[in-house]
Amino acid sequence: MTVFKFALKRSFSNIANLVFLTLFPVACIFLPRGEEWPFLPYGYQYFGIIILFIGIRLAAIILEDREKGVVKRLAVAPISHFNYLSQNLLAYSVILILQCAIVVYGGVLFGQELYQPGWLFLLYVSFSFASLAIALAWISIYRKKDVAFLIYMSLIFIVVVLGGLIIPVEMFPDLLKRMAVILPTYWLGQGLNWVVFGEEILDFLIINGVLWLYTIVFVVIGSTRKI
Amino acid sequence: MAIYNSIRCNWKHEENLVGNEQGARWMKKLMEPYVFVNAWRFLMVGVLIHLWIIGDSMSSSFILILLLLITTSLRWRFPLPIWFVFIDVFICSLYFPYTAISYYGLALPIFELARKGKALFSLVLFSVLFFTSVSSSILFWFFFQALFFGVFSYIAIKNQEEYRLDVDEQRRARYELEKIKTDLLEANQLVSQEAELMERYRISRELHDHLGHDLTGASLALQAYEYVQDPKEAETLLQEVKNRLERSTKNLRETVHNMTPITQIGVERLEKIMQSFYQVEIKYQKSGNMLTVPAYIWGLLESCLKEALTNVARHSNATKVEIDLQVTESIVRLSIQDNGTVKKNSLSGSGLRSLQMRSRSMGGSLAISNRENGFILVCVIPLEKES
Amino acid sequence: MRVLSTIKFTALRMIRNYIVLILLLVVPIILITFFSFILSGVVTENGVPYINENAMIMVLVFQLFGGSIVMYLIYHDLFTENKMRMYALPFNQTMYAFSIMLCGALYSILLGILLMVYSQFVLGVIWKNWFWMIYIISLMAILSIIVCLIFTFSVKNYKIAERLSELYGVGFVVLAGLFFPLPRNAIFDFLGSYGNPLTLSMGAIRDMSLTNTSSAWFQANILLGVIAILFMVMLLLGRRRIG
Repeated sequence: MTVFKFALKRSFSNIANLVFLTLFPVACIFLPRGEEWPFLPYGYQYFGIIILFIGIRLAAIILEDREKGVVKRLAVAPISHFNYLSQNLLAYSVILILQCAIVVYGGVLFGQELYQPGWLFLLYVSFSFASLAIALAWISIYRKKDVAFLIYMSLIFIVVVLGGLIIPVEMFPDLLKRMAVILPTYWLGQGLNWVVFGEEILDFLIINGVLWLYTIVFVVIGSTRKI
Repeated sequence: MAIYNSIRCNWKHEENLVGNEQGARWMKKLMEPYVFVNAWRFLMVGVLIHLWIIGDSMSSSFILILLLLITTSLRWRFPLPIWFVFIDVFICSLYFPYTAISYYGLALPIFELARKGKALFSLVLFSVLFFTSVSSSILFWFFFQALFFGVFSYIAIKNQEEYRLDVDEQRRARYELEKIKTDLLEANQLVSQEAELMERYRISRELHDHLGHDLTGASLALQAYEYVQDPKEAETLLQEVKNRLERSTKNLRETVHNMTPITQIGVERLEKIMQSFYQVEIKYQKSGNMLTVPAYIWGLLESCLKEALTNVARHSNATKVEIDLQVTESIVRLSIQDNGTVKKNSLSGSGLRSLQMRSRSMGGSLAISNRENGFILVCVIPLEKES
Repeated sequence: MRVLSTIKFTALRMIRNYIVLILLLVVPIILITFFSFILSGVVTENGVPYINENAMIMVLVFQLFGGSIVMYLIYHDLFTENKMRMYALPFNQTMYAFSIMLCGALYSILLGILLMVYSQFVLGVIWKNWFWMIYIISLMAILSIIVCLIFTFSVKNYKIAERLSELYGVGFVVLAGLFFPLPRNAIFDFLGSYGNPLTLSMGAIRDMSLTNTSSAWFQANILLGVIAILFMVMLLLGRRRIG
């Protein structure tokens, strides 16, 4: 588990990452409630956006490896690509799960009304995995870290708005409403709604299932070894 | 010397190739049939998503599309066995009661079956047309185009495999030929050395047989002459010595005459070629000991000279050719320079290339370059020290 | 003025940087289009269609990020990669830095105007006063460039300077209360009104369209004053690093 250990260490190594990985999630806990919408406090509505950013920041470490030729060296080292990738992803997942736990249970301690924190935590974890997988697939296209990050950033703006995290989906015109379903952020929004109003557990499981399917699709696409 | 120009152009061309390597590699990647197969697969998923958006099925039926997307991306990443299409069929059949998209989704397994050359099996899936509630005529054409493209890619990929095998075979054959060629050139050199040794041996035996006998006799007779007191006997001995020397002189002359080749070799041969070339004025210089150059090198130099002069006569507008032949202790250098100007659209210089190869096989080099005042060919061959 | 001859190439380099184009032109176009779909028919309390308001906000928000390209060019030309080459050239490096700033400002304004043109002719947004809008856009663009350069000059690590410039953009958008309402206290009130270039410029444009000219000029002049002060700061900081 050497790769795992170092992936954890590297994730916290530079200041920008440290801010992304600790400060932003913690700040989410303290954001106020909305009046009519969103139903959860703003911090919890927008935590999805932060998860997307964290996903690309973590995955960009793999891209950095490729940029600096570490992957080339790993190719001749006695470690398989699968090993390298899975341990990296495991480390990132651990970080993301920890964050989700801090945000959700920190909120509970702080006294935010979160309705069903357990399910909320599960939802964030599912979405974190989907976000990580998408970021992984995204970086497999690029060779330059900055380019990948900047373009992904603009993509996040669009996906977040179109997925209904910033504006409720109900306001969308019909066609956009149906197009929103394609985006993982839509399912996160639906999950957040379920946490507030939901009763049928099956609906929630389907929502999580979809996020897991997205994870599988993008991990399959993103796990190609590029040197 | 237009042919030099053409070779130069070839070099330029190769440089360009290196420059555009990235682009060429991209082009090559795009030309692969597999790219189109994968693009078709993902396009089909795109079509399904489109159908989902314009349709009115439930959000949960979007999972069908996600599942098909997973199988598609798995196919993109790994070569999957043919039975994997059953999973697609199974996923689709689960959704038959809920959404019409599941029927359209069957296009994917139809395509995969056809792509693996099992087009007949995929016809079974067409039977769905009789049970479906959606517009079966459109569905038929949708299936049909999947089948059609599947068969097409099956043929394309199969052909590509065959071509690839064929090309590999030919490449191997070419490498073998090239190897044989270099072997031959080396053998040529060896044979020439061998021949020289044999010739030397023959000469030494000839000299030994014809001259040695008489000269030894003469020498012995002269030694005996010093001890002989009787003048009459001395007279006969001297006469004997004289006879023997005369005979050996005659023998030597005959031997040399017999052994001198009638055909010209070496530098004389080169000079002969120059003399018979009357189209352009030739300025000729030589220096060094020509006899140290072995015969096989002369053969190459002769070919070089011939090729260069032919090129001047055929392609160039030169009026003057300077030829310089230098022999030092370690190398032979032949330089041929003209004052012609560049001419485009020249033929390929296969003759020069084979000369380059021959000189390389002797450890030397043949360089051609274009200067402002004409073309220059320089052939340098190292001389082997006799051990 | 040898620097003049470099302007053409500076402009070309800016236009060729496709990431900036995506971030500052394509994304806002998509967002404006999307919002105009959602918000079509919605009217604010002043009777103005909400898309006008939204398009204005979008154009101004993306001006906050306009300084990044200038920052990038100055950092690469005068601090790192091309530093030696630039200092070997027979021209005034300070003037060169100013020419890059000028180009960047013009480029950023141009992108803003493109957005306005697009929203007017494609989406039917009505801009009441084009000149006032362009004036405010120019102020925002120049301010953003100056702020970015202050970050570049004062922070050793360029990566951190970049993050700070992003924080400047995102932070003021958040402080303007566009994402979520902020708690009401003196500090946030100030940063959500007169302490925030985004709200200042938005206020200036709104007031101008309501023919509330004096208030509009007042807010625009605050921006101008801030630009003047920060320009001095930038000069002081920049003198240590350039020339």
